[in-house]
Amino acid sequence: MGKEECKTMLDALNKVTACYRHLVIALGSTSDSQNLREELKRTRKKAQELAVANRTKLTALLKDKTISKDDRAEYERLWVLFSSSMDLLEVDMKRSLEIGQDFPLKVPTRHLIQTGMTGSTTTVAARAMSVQNMKYEADSNIDTADLRDLQAEISQVSQMMEEMEMKVQVAPWAVEAKQEAGAELKSNMSVGNSSVGVISICEEEPKEEEGGGGSNTGFASICAVIVFFVIVIAALILGYLVINMS
Amino acid sequence: MTIRNAIRDHGQRYRPRMACLRKAEKVLLEMQDPRTGVKSQPQRLVITTIPHAITGEDIIAWLAGRFQIDTQEARSFGSMLVALGYIYPLQDHKRLVIKPDASLYRFQTPYFWPTQQWPVEDTDYAIYLAKRNIRKKGILELHEQEQYNRLHKWMNHKWDFIVMQAKEQYRAAKERKKPDRVVFECQERAYWVVHRPPPGTVSAMDYGLERRIDPNADETQTPDFYERIMIFTQQSIMRPRVKSSVSIGALVKYCTTYYSHDPFLSKCLPSNPWLTDDVTFWTLNRLNAEVPSKMRVERWTFSFGELLSDPRGRDDFRLFLKKEFSSENLAFWESCEDLKWGTAATMRGKAEQIYKTFLARGAPRWINIDGKTMEITVSGLRHPHRYVLDAAQTHIYMLMKKDKYGRYIKSPVFKDTMKKAICPEEHKFSDAQLEQNAKNRRPSLSPIILRQQELEQRARMAANAPVDITQVMSKLSQQGKEAPQRRTSR
Repeated sequence: MGKEECKTMLDALNKVTACYRHLVIALGSTSDSQNLREELKRTRKKAQELAVANRTKLTALLKDKTISKDDRAEYERLWVLFSSSMDLLEVDMKRSLEIGQDFPLKVPTRHLIQTGMTGSTTTVAARAMSVQNMKYEADSNIDTADLRDLQAEISQVSQMMEEMEMKVQVAPWAVEAKQEAGAELKSNMSVGNSSVGVISICEEEPKEEEGGGGSNTGFASICAVIVFFVIVIAALILGYLVINMS
Repeated sequence: MTIRNAIRDHGQRYRPRMACLRKAEKVLLEMQDPRTGVKSQPQRLVITTIPHAITGEDIIAWLAGRFQIDTQEARSFGSMLVALGYIYPLQDHKRLVIKPDASLYRFQTPYFWPTQQWPVEDTDYAIYLAKRNIRKKGILELHEQEQYNRLHKWMNHKWDFIVMQAKEQYRAAKERKKPDRVVFECQERAYWVVHRPPPGTVSAMDYGLERRIDPNADETQTPDFYERIMIFTQQSIMRPRVKSSVSIGALVKYCTTYYSHDPFLSKCLPSNPWLTDDVTFWTLNRLNAEVPSKMRVERWTFSFGELLSDPRGRDDFRLFLKKEFSSENLAFWESCEDLKWGTAATMRGKAEQIYKTFLARGAPRWINIDGKTMEITVSGLRHPHRYVLDAAQTHIYMLMKKDKYGRYIKSPVFKDTMKKAICPEEHKFSDAQLEQNAKNRRPSLSPIILRQQELEQRARMAANAPVDITQVMSKLSQQGKEAPQRRTSR
C-alpha cells in the first residue's frame, strides 16, 4: 500500500537528515577533514534522491481526489513530516555552504576551531548511507569543487520547496500529531537503555552510559571473546582433573 | 504560512548591535593558532581524556597581550565572548562569564556560533528538548519542562516530526566515540544556554527588534549613494565652527561641575533605587517636594536654566521675586512657555490673555521691555502663532538672568532654603534587607494623577496671583481719579 512505502521512505529521509545535521555540526572544527567533506557530499546526494522520491510519491497521493477523509488526513500528516525534514535539510545545506567557505581545507595555514572533537564521523555517515563501511575516493580539491555543486543543489532544493507549496494545498497547522508529549521516552532504545558500563562521575559533564562502546557489533564481539575464554579455561580445568584422576 | 516563511525569508531581517560578531570571529580564529594562540590542555574525566580545554586565566592573559589592554578589560572582553557563545564554560555551565582562575573552557563549533542571518528556531529547540528528555529519562529541569509543554502545545502539528527527528539524532550521536559524544553534548547544551537562557542566566543574545538592513554588508555604490555623500560634505562645509579648545573646555567644565551629581558616576544619597529597590531617593526628590535636598539646591547655583527648570527652584525664585515686587517677569516667562507648549486650540485665547495682562499699555502686570521688541511683538500678535512671543521672552529671560539671578543667590530667601535643605544618610542594606526590598516593589503614582495634581496646583496659583507694585500703583491712581470720574478699572 502506498502509505507503508511512504512511511519507510520518510523514515529513511529522516535518518539521513539527522545524520547530515550531525556531520554539519562537525564542520570547521578539528574533526573536519577531507573525509568529512566527502561524507557530507554523499549524504547530501542521498538525501536529495530520497527527497525527490518522497515528493513524487506524496504529490501523487495527495492529488488523488478519490481518497477517503482519514486517508487524506494521514497523507497530510506525512506531508508535514516531509516538509519539515526538507526545511531542516535546506537550512543545514545553506549553513554547510557558509561554513565550508569560511574554513577551507587546502590552505597553507588552516585554523580549524579546537572544539575537542577529534574522532572521525565515519560511523555516522555509514549510518546515513546504510552501508557497513565507507569508502573514500574523492580527490584533493573536494572542498572548493564541492561548494559549487552545493550551491546548485541548494537552489534546486529551494525551487523544489516552492513548487511543492504551489502544487499541494495542505494547511500544516491543521494537522494533528499522533504522538503525545513524552512519546520519545516510550520507544525501544536498543542501545541507550542497556546500562552496562560506567557512569562518569564528573559533576558538570553530562552523565553518559556506555552502552556497549558505541555499536552493537562491538559489544557482540567482546561477548564472544569472553565466552571463548571461559570455555577454554573450563576445558583446561577439566583436562587437569582428568590427568589427576588417571 | 507564517511558520514556514521564517526560514525561507525573503525579507532578510538582521539583528541590530550584532556587528561585533564578525570581529569576534576573527579574534576566535587568531586564538586557534598553535604557536601564537591560546594554550590548550587536555581535560581529564574519569575514564576519558578530552583535548582542547583552555583555562580562564590563559584566555585573559592572551587577550591582554594581543590587544595591549589591562586584565580587567581583558576579563570583560572574555566574558563578552562567553556571553555571545563563542567559548563555553565546562564547569558551572549556566553562568556565562570568564573566571580568572584555572576553570576550564572550550571553543564552540562554528555551526553553533551566533550568526546574523540564521535565526534560532523553535523547532530545533523542541528537538533538543526531546533528545534531552530521552537522555534524562523524563526528568527535565523546571524551565525546560515548561518550555517543552509550551512547544508541545504550539508546535503540535510538527510534533511527530520532532519526536522522529529527536530519536534519529540521538541514535546518530551514539555512533561516535565516547569522548566526541561528551563534547557534542556539552556543545549543544552550551548553545541552548546562550539562546534560551535558563532563569538567572544573562546571555548577550537579547537584541531587541530586528532590522531590515545588514549592518555588515557593504553598500552598493549607486549614484544615489554618492549624491548623499555630496550633500553631507556640502552641509559640513557650511556648518559654523567652534574652536575645539573652547568646546572641549566647555565639556570639561560641564563634567567637573556635574560629576558629583550624576548617580552613575558618584554615590547617590540615600541609595540608588535601581540598585537597592528603595524609593526614598525618588520621594525626597519629587518635583513638588517641600524640603529640597542639598544636592538639588547646589544644582540651582550652577546656572539660571537649572534653577528655572526645577519646579521647586522656580517656586523659590518666585518667592524671592515677590519680595522684590518684580514677579511679573517670571509670570510672563511662564505664560510664554505655556503658550509654546500648549495645544493649538488654546493658542489664540492665551495670546490675547497675555497681551491684556502683560503687554498692553496700562496692563495690570506690565513688563518692562524695550520699544523695538514691543513693536515686533505687538505686530506679531495680530496673527498669533506658537513662537510669536519668543523675542519678548528671551529679553525677559536675559533680564532675569543678568540681574535677578545674581541677587537671588545672595538673598536671604536662598540662604534660608539652603540651610533647611536636607542631606539624607546613606542606606546600608544587608543582603536579606535587599531581598525584602525587592519583594516589596510597588508601582509608582500613575502619570495621570501626577498631571492632575500639577494642574490643580497651577489653578491654585493663578487664583491667588501675587499683587505687583504696578497693579497696586495703578489701583491707587485709579482710586485717585475715581472721585472726579467714575471709571471702573479694568
